[in-house]
Amino acid sequence: MQPIKHPIGRIFIHLILWVAVLISTVPFIWTTLQSLKTKKQAHSRTPLIWFEPTLDNYRELWLDSVPDNFAVLAYGLIAILLFFILLSVFANQLPISRRTINWTIAGGLVLILWLIPQFIDTAEFYDYFVNTAIVGVGTVIISISIASLSAYGLARYVGLAGVILILMALAFRSLPRLAFALPYYWMGQMSGLHDTHFLVIITLTAVNQPFSLYMLRSFFMDIPREIEEAAMIDGASRFVAFIRVIVPIMWPGIFATSLFTLVLVYHEFLLVSILTQSNWTLAVAMRQYLPGISVAGSLPLQSAAAVSGALPLAIVVLIFQKQLVKGLSAGAVKG
Amino acid sequence: MKRKTFFAFTAPSNIVMVTLMILPLGLAIWFGLNYITYTNVAAPNFVGLSNYQEVLEDVAFWDALRWTLVIIMVVVPAHIIIAFVLSVVLDQITGRIRAFYLAGLLAPMIVVPVIGTIVFRQLFDPSGLIAWFLRVTLDETFVFTETSMKSLLLLHTIWISTPFALVIFFAGLQTLPSDLADAAAIDGANRLQQIRHIVIPHLRSLFLLNAILGVMDMFRLFDNVFVLTRMNPIFHADTILTYNYRIAMVVRRLGKGNAVAVLTVVFIMAALIPFLMYMYREQIEER
Repeated sequence: MQPIKHPIGRIFIHLILWVAVLISTVPFIWTTLQSLKTKKQAHSRTPLIWFEPTLDNYRELWLDSVPDNFAVLAYGLIAILLFFILLSVFANQLPISRRTINWTIAGGLVLILWLIPQFIDTAEFYDYFVNTAIVGVGTVIISISIASLSAYGLARYVGLAGVILILMALAFRSLPRLAFALPYYWMGQMSGLHDTHFLVIITLTAVNQPFSLYMLRSFFMDIPREIEEAAMIDGASRFVAFIRVIVPIMWPGIFATSLFTLVLVYHEFLLVSILTQSNWTLAVAMRQYLPGISVAGSLPLQSAAAVSGALPLAIVVLIFQKQLVKGLSAGAVKG
Repeated sequence: MKRKTFFAFTAPSNIVMVTLMILPLGLAIWFGLNYITYTNVAAPNFVGLSNYQEVLEDVAFWDALRWTLVIIMVVVPAHIIIAFVLSVVLDQITGRIRAFYLAGLLAPMIVVPVIGTIVFRQLFDPSGLIAWFLRVTLDETFVFTETSMKSLLLLHTIWISTPFALVIFFAGLQTLPSDLADAAAIDGANRLQQIRHIVIPHLRSLFLLNAILGVMDMFRLFDNVFVLTRMNPIFHADTILTYNYRIAMVVRRLGKGNAVAVLTVVFIMAALIPFLMYMYREQIEER
């Protein structure tokens, strides 16, 4: 529709959106404020908006003890992260290939995650963060690799088996988690895999297959067949044509699906909480910080945990916001 | 593509889905027919259909089902209407500020649901913003009772499910051919008439999509009920899934828990069949 031009109408439109944005975000802003308060300030009966912020709650959450040279280590860490950000921003200007830079950054991040506990006495919350990273990345890699192959097959094959497979995937997608989680629990107990990353990754891969298949297929359908047919005439097998020709073209779609899988894995609560004893992901670890539980009943600590748990994913999503929205709309409008 | 190649490409994914989706479903059906607690996980005791009988005679099961249906009937229409209105309003905005509005509106969807619920509940704690507001304006102390908890659950579920529906509508609005609305405007149709006769018909399939996804999501509602009620039975706010969790993980009756899960699967499948038939016809035509 044409935009409204009347000034009062415009003001009204912005007003509606502001109210909606506030309703969506005020709870998060409030919790962030709470996380920067002392216990006494946070429990105050009249809400404090202006106060002297403290990072004590975050320190209590992430660190068991504070090393003497903490400031040096913290600044060093920030410097390294800044270096990575700059590296990826200016990657195109450097005489090194984009791929080398991406691998360097990925490797560097893994190295940092591994090195931090060697130098700093981190608390359990750090382990939950590392667990989440391992489970998230592991699931995305396995799930997207096998789903890409299958989705490509589904997009190209015209037989009845393809229709049946995609309908089955749709049906599975709508089933409640517990129908799978309880048998998984039993399988984990029987095989001794309970509370391992492996079990969590492989089961999350399975429950996310239907979604990945569906979304990737809608992307693959858009690629004209002629492209891989040309490669195959040149002598490549279909598999080689897929890896060399289709995947590079499809990369934005594969990337968007990967982001979604990461979000779903990061959000997963029920399944992971049943399959783990102590190797929790961040979402499951939040169980310790629920409102009203006495152990961690302090509001500011609870708030710091909520912010710390939400922030890593929020940063990833903000960085790749454009790809995410594009993927969401493409998948939704077609599907 | 040849049949053989198709099966080769889909094999890894199919193996995972068969071993970790079809096999577990079979196991769930088998467990549902056995008496299992956590002491005899390895040696189940076959009891036939008595688990199912127990579930169907359980008042709590029917309460949970009724409450789930209430949530569906309130949340699905409410979140679709809010999402539609907001997407039409957002469509009026151009330029950079649109990305800002969109990011703000999507926040409840991006943040981990469990955390989104903790954050939401904090507002109602004695030291929270809304509890304070109610105290100051209405001189009312907010207490968690069955009624207030259930209203809060409905509110929170709307809050958390609106963003996804909004993105879908918003994406659909981008594909609306502009000449249609322009022609209608020239013919003298006002904005409400344009929305009524052009926008809504154009988005009809997305209304259907949002409704179906909404119903399926409400049947799987767990995280926010778990966090808000902390599984406290005094609120009588169990949904089908938290009831199932209670039987399986709190009461620790694994066999009965599986029976509930199988019953839920049957319900959802029955609700899904018309949709699957529709999809099947569409897919066959598409070939």
